[in-house]
Amino acid sequence: MAVPILKQGNTLIASIQAALSDRDLLDLKDQLGERIGQVRAREVIIDLTALDVLDSFATRTIRGIAYTAKLRGAETVVVGIQPEVAFAMVQLGLSLDGIATALDLEEGLAYLRARGGNRAIRL
Amino acid sequence: MADLADQSPIQLLMREMGLNEANVARRQQIVDLKSDDLTRISTIKDLLVGHVDEHGDRFFDYLSTSEEGRTLTGNRSLLERARALKRAHLLAMVEGDYGVGYAAQRLELAVLYGKVGLDLPVFLAAFHHLLSGIGASILQQSAATPREGFEAFMSLEKVAFFDLGIIVDAMVFERQRVIHRQQDAIRELSTPVLQIRDRLLLLPIIGVIDTHRARLITESLLKAIRAARAKVVVMDITGVATIDSKVANHLIQTVTAARLMGAGVIVTGLSSDVAQSLVALGIDLTKLNTVGDLQGGMEEAELLLGYHVVQAASPPVPSPAATGA
Repeated sequence: MAVPILKQGNTLIASIQAALSDRDLLDLKDQLGERIGQVRAREVIIDLTALDVLDSFATRTIRGIAYTAKLRGAETVVVGIQPEVAFAMVQLGLSLDGIATALDLEEGLAYLRARGGNRAIRL
Repeated sequence: MADLADQSPIQLLMREMGLNEANVARRQQIVDLKSDDLTRISTIKDLLVGHVDEHGDRFFDYLSTSEEGRTLTGNRSLLERARALKRAHLLAMVEGDYGVGYAAQRLELAVLYGKVGLDLPVFLAAFHHLLSGIGASILQQSAATPREGFEAFMSLEKVAFFDLGIIVDAMVFERQRVIHRQQDAIRELSTPVLQIRDRLLLLPIIGVIDTHRARLITESLLKAIRAARAKVVVMDITGVATIDSKVANHLIQTVTAARLMGAGVIVTGLSSDVAQSLVALGIDLTKLNTVGDLQGGMEEAELLLGYHVVQAASPPVPSPAATGA
């Protein structure tokens, strides 16, 4: 199942609606990488609200997306991690080091707005 | 009617203990109770039934000789009930039917023992005393055929150990249940998550943190973060006396999980001892934002959330009611 990627100004929003296969995740990674270039996005939000499981592969892929986006000049915020998922991730030692996280989409947008001028490059 | 009221808690207990037909059959198998034994027991039935009160008295007399046993024998109404049950027990012991109904009878007695907190070693000694009395009387009667008498007694002893298995299990089960209840109570008391301001939570941690509790703390914190849409959590560990690497790991896990949900955590109240032991343990605490005390932590959190607390130029005069005047 493909993940819809919405564009809102300079922001790309990938809203994951259902459990994803490894293939879907890799597709998402490719598509996002491409879209960032196409629309000159500066921000990416990945919404995981609908997920109740996040395995090591998914975590690694999301981390990969965030790092890729950064290299392409956009900052990534991961939003909507459920309590159970957060707990399981910590138990399994999966981390999203260096990637911003927020409670939900609203918070993620607020975070990006507050960050305002501070772009991906910080000296 | 009284019987009915007594019956239901026992049946409930049997269900909880898993004491069903299969389990009872397995218990019989464990003590190696066979049809031969039933035949042998029937040979001594009359002997035992004839002296049933005498044997029962031996049990209770022994109990009353020891300090621990008097918890039961000192209570007249319970003692009467126990005597009646013990009498029924001795009669049932030679009846030859050791099914679920028999087990329920044993449980009833065990529950009564548990209620008065009867000491297990004393109970076992009294039970031994009772058995040795029965054994002596069997030997006396079968003086001409001691071998048969001994075998019959051994068969009866199988039943006795079958009984003991159930009674000891029930007493242990009852104790465990009390422990579980207390643990639950402590657990619920010990992990409050308090909302201090809009989007600011306080998590005071007091006492010992083990894996299980760390898990509960983390779970309740994550739920509270979602419910309160918290952005900052102040975790106060003033009440945690000692920290080892395991506990530190739990704390770091809690902080990491909270961060995944978009909430920053400020840890406060690390005493000098705790801080030193953490450094000595070589735990990487770069992931933790720490502030000396709770006050400092709250101020930091308010700053993060954009609160600006100012003291009013002229503080309001306390009302008479508030001062109690």
